[in-house]
Amino acid sequence: MSDLAKSFAATKFVPPPPASALSEDPESHYVSDSSSASSMSSTGTLRPTTGQTPSGPSITWNDYFTQELYLEHIFDNKSRAKYHVYVTPPDTIKAPLFVLHHGAGSSGMSLALFARELKMLLPDAGIISLEAREHGSVVYDAEGNVNSDLSIDVLSSDMVSMLKLTSAKLGWPELPTMLLVGHSLGGAVVTETAKSGVLGDRVLGYAVLDVVEGSAMDALKSMQSYLSARPKSFPTVDAAIDWHIRSRTLRNLASARASVPPLLMMIPSGVWVWKTDLSRTEAYWENWFSGMSSKFLTAKGAKLLMLAGTDRLDRELMIGQMQGKFQLYVFPTAGHFLQEDLPEKTAEAIAEFFRRNDRNTLVLPPKVSDLIAQGKKV
Amino acid sequence: MSDLDKAIAQLRACRLIPENQVRELTYKARELLIEEGNVVGVDAPVTICGDIHGQFHDLMELFRVGGDVPETNYLFMGDFVDRGFYSLESFLLLLCLKVRYPDRITLIRGNHESRQITTVYGFYDECIRKYGSANVWRYCCDVFDYLALGALVTGATTNLEPSAAPFQSSDTASQSEQNSYADQDIEIEILNSAGEIMSRFPRASQQQAPLSPSKTLPSSSPIAPSASGPSGTGATSSSNGSRTSNSGAVLCVHGGLSPLIDTIDKIRLLDRKQEVPHEGAMCDLLWSDPDEIDGWGLSPRGAGFLFGADIVKCFNHTNNLSLIARAHQLVMEGFKEMFESTIVTVWSAPNYCYRCGNVAAILELGEDGGNGGFVPRSNGDIGRSRGVLNERNREGPGRRYRVFEAAPQDSRGMPAKKPVADYFL
Repeated sequence: MSDLAKSFAATKFVPPPPASALSEDPESHYVSDSSSASSMSSTGTLRPTTGQTPSGPSITWNDYFTQELYLEHIFDNKSRAKYHVYVTPPDTIKAPLFVLHHGAGSSGMSLALFARELKMLLPDAGIISLEAREHGSVVYDAEGNVNSDLSIDVLSSDMVSMLKLTSAKLGWPELPTMLLVGHSLGGAVVTETAKSGVLGDRVLGYAVLDVVEGSAMDALKSMQSYLSARPKSFPTVDAAIDWHIRSRTLRNLASARASVPPLLMMIPSGVWVWKTDLSRTEAYWENWFSGMSSKFLTAKGAKLLMLAGTDRLDRELMIGQMQGKFQLYVFPTAGHFLQEDLPEKTAEAIAEFFRRNDRNTLVLPPKVSDLIAQGKKV
Repeated sequence: MSDLDKAIAQLRACRLIPENQVRELTYKARELLIEEGNVVGVDAPVTICGDIHGQFHDLMELFRVGGDVPETNYLFMGDFVDRGFYSLESFLLLLCLKVRYPDRITLIRGNHESRQITTVYGFYDECIRKYGSANVWRYCCDVFDYLALGALVTGATTNLEPSAAPFQSSDTASQSEQNSYADQDIEIEILNSAGEIMSRFPRASQQQAPLSPSKTLPSSSPIAPSASGPSGTGATSSSNGSRTSNSGAVLCVHGGLSPLIDTIDKIRLLDRKQEVPHEGAMCDLLWSDPDEIDGWGLSPRGAGFLFGADIVKCFNHTNNLSLIARAHQLVMEGFKEMFESTIVTVWSAPNYCYRCGNVAAILELGEDGGNGGFVPRSNGDIGRSRGVLNERNREGPGRRYRVFEAAPQDSRGMPAKKPVADYFL
C-alpha cells in the first residue's frame, strides 16, 4: 500500500471531524505509516484541527462501542467481581456476537478500531470487548483482598462469567452464536475457553491473533529484558502514545490514541505509569501458553490463526496446518498488535472467516446417498 | 553440452543460473506448457511425487531413490516452492528438466504456485534475497499460471512385477512371506530408501472383507490388503469376471475434488491461465482434502472442500478411474491410502520444514505389458447395477511406494534463524 493509501485508510478510523475541518490534503490527516519514526516526532502538527487538545486522551470508548458495562457479581464462595466490558449488542437475536479478548498489559480498547471496522462489515453483529482482571476488571476474594490470580483457567472462567453477566444485564434470551477472538494472551484465553467446551455449541469458532506456543516459549527468556527496557513512566499521555509509535510497538497512530490512554494512570507525583505490572505476571507465562497449540488444534469449532510478520509456527501447528486443520493468515507488514496496526484488514479477515462458517447460510452440495435416495442417477 | 544441459548441471549442484537464463527458461517453459491441456495424459510407467516445498537436498534424495530423469518418468503434483530454503533451485531444476525432457516429466500446479501464497510463505522473499529483485519471482509466477491442473495416468498394470530386491534384513518374518507371495499377484509393495522391501501385499480377493492392516504398514494408513484366503480364491473369485491386468486410469491432482466437477471433461473446460482463484472449481482442485465424512464438508483451511468416501467412489465410477492420487496434506508416513484404496495422498517432503519429523514417499505405477497399453474407456453404464457406493469400480493399479528420509542438511544458503518474537504477551 502506498503511503497515500495508508494515510487514507488511517483516516477511516478517526472519528469524523467537523465538516469544516475536512480536507482532501492527506498531510492533514492522521498518518498511520510510522515506518519513518521522524513523522512521529511532530505528532502535534499532523493532527487535524478538530479542537482536540494536545494533552490528554480525546478518543474514548464511545467512538467504538455503544455501551460500557460494569458487571458486579458475588460468587458462591463469597468472592466478588467487578468486571468491565465494552459492548455493542447484536441487532437481532440471530446475529452473531464477536467476543474480543485483549493481550497481557493491554485493555479492551486495544481492539477498538478493529471492532468498529468489523461492525461496518457486519452491521447486524454484536461485539463485546472484555477486560481481564488486573486489566480493567477486578476480583476480590471473600476477605475483600484483590485476587490477582491470572491462571489461564481463571481468566477463561472470568471470560465466561462476563458473557453470562452481559447477557443477563442486556436481557438476551440466550447467549448468541459467538466467535471468539483473542490477541496474544487473549488468544490463549479464547483457546482455553473453546477447549473447555463450557459455551457448548454457542461457539462457532475462534481466532487467535499473533501468538504461537512454540515462539512464545522461545521468547520467555528475553521478555524480562524487553520489559525492563520500557519506560517506567511518561510525563504525559501524549508522550506515551509517542513512545508506542516511535518504538514501533504500535504502528497506527489512530489506534495508539485509542488504546494507549487506558493503559496508564497518573500517580501523585504527576507522572503517568503503567496500570498493569507486566513483569509481575511472569509467574503465569508458562501457564498461559504451554499446551496451547494442542488445545487450538483439538477444540471444537472453526479455527483461525492470524500472525504478524512471518509464520512462526511451532512443529505441532506446522503439521496441523499442512494437514489442513485450520486457517492461517499472515500479515507481513503488521507488528505484534496486528489488530491495531491493520484494523481494517484484520476485520476483513475475521468477517470473511465468520461468513464462511456461518451456519445460517452454509449450504453444502448434496451427499451421494441423498441423491440416490431421491432417485437421481449418480 | 547445450546451455540447457549446463543449466541442469549447475542447478543440480544447487547453484543458481543467471537471471537472463531464468527469463529464457521460463519463456520456453510457457511455450511448452501452453500446449498441454488442463489434464495432461501420462502413460505408465510413471513415478508420482507430492509436495517438495523448496527442500532441494531432499529432491536430490528423491531422484536418488526413484531414479533420474529421463530414465524415470516423473509426475510432480505441485507445491514445488515455499517454506523450504531452496525453492528457486528446486523449481528451476524441475523446469529445466521439463524443457529438456518434456515427455519424461510432468508438472502440475499446487496451491502454493500462486502469487498471493508465495508472497507470504517464503518464495517471494527468497527471490528477492537471491536475485536482488522480484523479476525472477514474476517470471516463475507467469509459469505457474500455465501449469496443468491435473494428469490422467493410463496403462498402469494391476499387478506389480515383484522387485528382486531383498527384504529389509531386520524383518525376518517377512523373509518367509516373500516366498509365500511368489505365485500371487502383488498389489502393494513398500520399499525403503535403500531399495529393500519393507512390506509386500498380495491382491486381496474382491469378495473378501479386508482384514486389519499388517503391523508393518504405516499405522495411520487405512489400506487393508489382506492375506490371501483359502488357496485358489485369488484366482477365481474376482467379481469383475476374468482378470485383467490393466487398471482404470489414475487421476492426479494436487488437492482433490470439487462439487462443481463431476467429470474429468469439466476440468478440461476450465480456463486455467490465471492466478489461483479464491473459490470455484480451479480453487477446489488445488485446495480440497479427503476426510472421513459423508458427502461434502467445509474445509478448515478456508478454501476448497472436504469430501468423503461416497464422493470419491462416485467420481471414480463415473470417470472409470481406479485411483485418485493427490498431495497437499502432510502425512507422517509419506503416503496414506483412504476409502478402500480409492484415493491416496503422496507426500514427498521429508522432515517437512526441517522440523516435522516425517518421512516422504513416491508412488510408482508399473506399465501394463499384457495388452499393448490399451485402456478401455468408460462408455457410461457398465457395472452400474452393482451400486456405486458398495464396490470398487475397477481394480486399482499395482502400487510401489518408495519411502525415504531427509537428506543430510547442508547449512549453506540457509538464512539465519528466524527472529524470535521479542514480545508476545
